[in-house]
Amino acid sequence: MNITLRLAWRNLWRQPRRTWLTIGAMVFSNAILVFMISLQFGMYELMIDNTLKAFTGHFQVQAPGYKDDTKMRQIVPNAESIATEIREATSLEAVAVRSATFALASSDDRTYGIRVFGVDPANESRVSTIPSLVSDGRFPDNRDAQEIVVGSVLARNLRVGIGDELTILGSGRGGSFAAAVATVAGIFDSGVIDMDRSIAEMPIGFFNDVFYMDDAAHAVVVVTPALALIEDYRATLESVVAGHDGVVLQDWDALQPGLRQAIQADLSGAFFMYGVLVVLVAFSVMNTQLMSVLERTYEFGIVMSLGLTPGRLGRLVILETALMGLAGLLLGALVGGLITTWFTYNGFSFPGMDQMAANFNLPSHFYPQVSLLTLFAGPAFVFIGSIISALYPALRVHWLHPVEAMRLA
Amino acid sequence: MSAVRCIDLCKTYRQGDQDIKALDHVDIEIVEGDFVCLSAPSGGGKTTLLNAIGGLDILDSGEVWVAGQRIDCMSKGELAGLRLKQIGFVFQAYNLIPVLTARENVEFVMQVQGVPADERGCKSEAILEEVGLGGLGDRRPAEMSGGQQQRVAVARAIVSRPTLVLADEPTANLDSKTSGELIELFAELNETHGTTFVIATHDQRVMAYAKRLVKMLDGRIVDDIDKRAG
Amino acid sequence: MNALKIIVKLAWRNLWRNHRRTIVMLSAISIGAWAMIFMTSLVRGMVNEMLRDGIRALPGHVQVHHPDYRDDPSIENLMNTTREELAASLLAAGIERFSARVRVPAVISSERESRGVILLGVDPKREAAIAAIGSRVTEGRPLTDVGDGGVIIGRRLAEKLETEVGKRIVLMSQDPDNEIADRGFRVVGLYEANLEIQEEAFAFAGRMTIQQMLGIGDFVSEVAVVGDDYRVVDPLLASVRLSIDGDDEVLPWTELDEYLGTMMMVMDGFVIIWVVIIFFALSFGLVNTLVMAVFERVREIGLMLALGMRPSSILGQIIVESFFLLAIGLVVGNLLACLSIIVLSEGIDISIVAEGMEMFGSASVLYPEMEMQDVILANVVVLVLGFLASLSPAWRASRYEPVEAITKV
Repeated sequence: MNITLRLAWRNLWRQPRRTWLTIGAMVFSNAILVFMISLQFGMYELMIDNTLKAFTGHFQVQAPGYKDDTKMRQIVPNAESIATEIREATSLEAVAVRSATFALASSDDRTYGIRVFGVDPANESRVSTIPSLVSDGRFPDNRDAQEIVVGSVLARNLRVGIGDELTILGSGRGGSFAAAVATVAGIFDSGVIDMDRSIAEMPIGFFNDVFYMDDAAHAVVVVTPALALIEDYRATLESVVAGHDGVVLQDWDALQPGLRQAIQADLSGAFFMYGVLVVLVAFSVMNTQLMSVLERTYEFGIVMSLGLTPGRLGRLVILETALMGLAGLLLGALVGGLITTWFTYNGFSFPGMDQMAANFNLPSHFYPQVSLLTLFAGPAFVFIGSIISALYPALRVHWLHPVEAMRLA
Repeated sequence: MSAVRCIDLCKTYRQGDQDIKALDHVDIEIVEGDFVCLSAPSGGGKTTLLNAIGGLDILDSGEVWVAGQRIDCMSKGELAGLRLKQIGFVFQAYNLIPVLTARENVEFVMQVQGVPADERGCKSEAILEEVGLGGLGDRRPAEMSGGQQQRVAVARAIVSRPTLVLADEPTANLDSKTSGELIELFAELNETHGTTFVIATHDQRVMAYAKRLVKMLDGRIVDDIDKRAG
Repeated sequence: MNALKIIVKLAWRNLWRNHRRTIVMLSAISIGAWAMIFMTSLVRGMVNEMLRDGIRALPGHVQVHHPDYRDDPSIENLMNTTREELAASLLAAGIERFSARVRVPAVISSERESRGVILLGVDPKREAAIAAIGSRVTEGRPLTDVGDGGVIIGRRLAEKLETEVGKRIVLMSQDPDNEIADRGFRVVGLYEANLEIQEEAFAFAGRMTIQQMLGIGDFVSEVAVVGDDYRVVDPLLASVRLSIDGDDEVLPWTELDEYLGTMMMVMDGFVIIWVVIIFFALSFGLVNTLVMAVFERVREIGLMLALGMRPSSILGQIIVESFFLLAIGLVVGNLLACLSIIVLSEGIDISIVAEGMEMFGSASVLYPEMEMQDVILANVVVLVLGFLASLSPAWRASRYEPVEAITKV
C-alpha cells in the first residue's frame, strides 16, 4: 500500500467514532437512495409496460390528427395492406389493425354509451393484453363473427352474461345510422376500472360491416420486442408509412403523453428529495473534515516545516474523504441492496397503495429489483457530493503557515 | 477539630502489567489553619492524596474525613455539594473555563451555589482586587498570562471562603517571580482568613513557606516535619 | 435558577467557540428544515388542489344516493324520496348549501360525432352555491333555472363534437322502462375546467327539463352537500344522516372517491416519512458535532465537576447547546421556507408536464401551501428527535470522572 494511502487510512481511524458517524450518514442516505431509486425505476417501467401493453402499443399508424380528435372519418384507408407491409419490412409479428367508435350498447334492461373497438382476432392478442384478460367466456376467433367482448364492470352494469345479446347503436363512417346485434362472447377483467367500465371489442370484419368502414381502420398497432428497442424500428416504420398518403406514425410518447410527463413530474419531485439528502451528507462530511484539519494544525505545521507542500496535504484530506466516501458507498449499496432484495421477495406496499397504483396501471404490491444502475447511481452522487464538500477543508490547508500553525496549537 | 483526617488510605493503579501503589496505608491529620506542603517525586502519590482529600478519586480502602464529615462513602451529588462549599481547588493548568471571563470564572462556583447576582458581583470584585487583578475582570483566559490565570484560579478557590484549599503544583507553569507572588498570596490568605492550605509541589520556594512539610515516596509518608515546632 | 442561567450561558458561549463547525452544522439544519417545509408545502399544494378539484367534480363533501347507485349509477337507482321532501328536511336541519341533481349516463350527438357523457339535471341557483364543475362558463350563458331547455358542455367536448354555442345537439339516455329517451337541446354555453378530462365528461341541463325527458317525476339521483371545510366532514355527515330517511345512503367524499381519500391519507404519511428521513440524515452530523464538542472539552468538564457542578448540570449544558443549534437552524430554515413560498406564491407553472399531472388528477399550476400542522410537525420532530440524539453525548459528558477528565491530555 502506498504511503499516502496508508497515512490517510490511519488518520481516519484516529477518531473512529467521528469517522463512523460520518460513514453512517452516508450509509443511511445511500441505502434510502438505492431502495427509492430501485422502487421508482421499477415502477416506471411497469407503468409504461402495463399501460402500453394493455392497449396502446409502441407505435400506431393513424390518420393525422386522429390521436387528438378520434373522429370516425379520420381513417387509415388500406390498413390491412399497411399492416402486411410492416410485417414484411420489420419481420415483427405483433402488428394489428384496429377501428374504434363511440356507440350506445343496450341490453334488455340497460343502455350505456361505450367505446367499441374493432379488432383483428388473429393478431390482437399480440399487441394487447385484453384478449388474455378474458376471465369469462372466450375471445372471438373469427373476424366476421357477430360477437362482442365487454369489460367486467360494463357487463355488470348492463346486466349481461355470456350468450346474451347486446344492441349496438351508433353512426357509420359517413354519419349514417348504424345498428347491429352482437352476442356477448367474453368478459374481460383488466383491473383498470376505466377500461372495464367503458370498453367493448368486436371482430374487425363485423365492426367494419356495421359501421361502413370497408377496408379502412383507425389504426395499425405495432409492438416491438421491448420498449428499449423501439428506436431500432422507427426508421423502417417511417419508410413504410411514407409510402402511403394521409397516414402518420405516432410513437407511444405521442399517443400517451401523460405517461412520460407523469414520470417526469414524479422524477423532478424525487430528484429534489435526493438532492437534499446528498447536500445534507455533504455538510456532514464538510464538518468532519474541517474538524480533522483544524485539530491537526500543529501536526500539519510540523510536516510543512519538513517541506511538505500544502497541496499534498490538501490531497491527503481529499484522499481521506474519498476513502470514507468509498466505505459509505459500498456499505450503503450493500445495505440498500439487501433492503431492496428483501422487498424483491416479499413485495413492497403501503396503506393506500392499491388505490394509488390502480390509477397508474400498477399492481397493489410491488417487487423492486436491484440493478447496477439503481445500486450505484444514488451513492455515486453522495460520493461526488462528499468530495466536493471536502474541497473547503482541503483548501484551508493553504492558509496554514508552518510557524503560525505550530504557534496556534 | 482537624480540617482533614485520613486513615489507612490505599490506592493501586494498574499501568501496563505493573501494579503501582499510589497510596500505601497512608495516615495523616491536618489541623485547621495549617499550611501543608506535600512533596514527592513524580508518581510519589501526592496528587492521588490531594484528589482523595478533595473527593475526586475513588479509593481502594481507608477513610477520609473533611471538616468532620466522612467523604469516601458520599454520593456524587453530596461530594459536589461538599466541594462547592468547603473546598477550593487550584490545579496545575487548565484551571479556568475558557468561555467565561475572569470575573465569571470567579463567580462560577457562587452561581452554582445560588448566590444572588449583586452579592456575587461585590465578592468577585473584592477578591479580584485582593489577588491583584483589579480591572482585568472582563478578560477571557486566553487574553491573560499564565500567572494572571493562576491568580484567577486562586480567587475562584477562595471566593466562597472555603475552609480548605487544595492546590496541585500551582506554580509548575510559572516563572520564578510569578510563582513567588502566587505563594505569597497563599501565605497571606492563610494568615488573614485562617484557611487551611494543602499544596502538592516540588518547588523549593513553595516549601519554604510551609508550616508543615510532608514528604512522600512510593505512596508512603516518609517524613513529616512541623516547622513551627522547630 | 442561577444554576440554569450559568448552564445557558456556558452552552451559548460554547456554541460559538468553534464558529466554523457551528455554521456548517447550522447550514445543514437550516437546509434540512427548509427542505422539510418547502417540499411538504409543494406536495400539499398539489394534493389540496387535487382534492378540491376532485371534490368539485364529485361534487360536494357529502352525498346522498340510493344504496345501489354507486355500484350501478343508472336511472333505476333514483333516490327513494322526492326532491321536495329531501330539500325540506335538509333545510329544516339548517343545511343550506346542497344541490339535488339527476345524474345519468347519456350519449351526446352533434351532426358529426357522438360521445358518452354524464348528463346532469341541475338547479342552477343551488348549483352556484357549491361551485362545482360547469360553473366557469366562458362562452354563451350559464343555465338560468330548473326549467332551462338549453345545455352547457365543456369546451373540449364541443371541439370533439365539432359543435358550438347556438347549435343543436341530441342527448340520449334511458328512461326507467329501458326505453331510449332522447331530446334535442341547444348548446347555450361552454364551460372550462381545470382538467381536460372534466371538460369532456359532463353536460348540464335544467333539472326539470331532464326529469320530464326521462319521465321520473320529482325524483333525483343524488344530493350533494357542501360544508365549511372538506377536512372536517364528520359533523356535516352526521347531521345529513339525521335528516335523511333510512333507505338512502349518505357518504363522505373520502368514501365516494377512494382515490382522493387515499391521497389525503398517503399525503399525511408522506409528510411524516419525509420529515423523519431528513432528520435522520441530519442526526449523524448533529451527534458528530456534539461528540466532538464534548471530546474537546473533557478537561473543562472535569474542572467543572471538580469545582462542584453536578453531573446533571453538565448533561443539561450539552442538551441546551444542542437545543440552541437546532432552534437557530430551525428558525433560519422556517424563514427560508416562508420566503421561498412567498416568492412562488404566484404559482409554479408546470404545464410542460400537464398531461402527466393530469394522470395524478392534478392541475398544471402548482401553488405551494404551507400548513401550520406540517410546520409544527417538522419543528417538533426536529426538536424532540434532536433532544433524543443529543442524550448520548450529553450522558457521556456527565459521566466523566473529574480526575481522569482533568488529567486527560
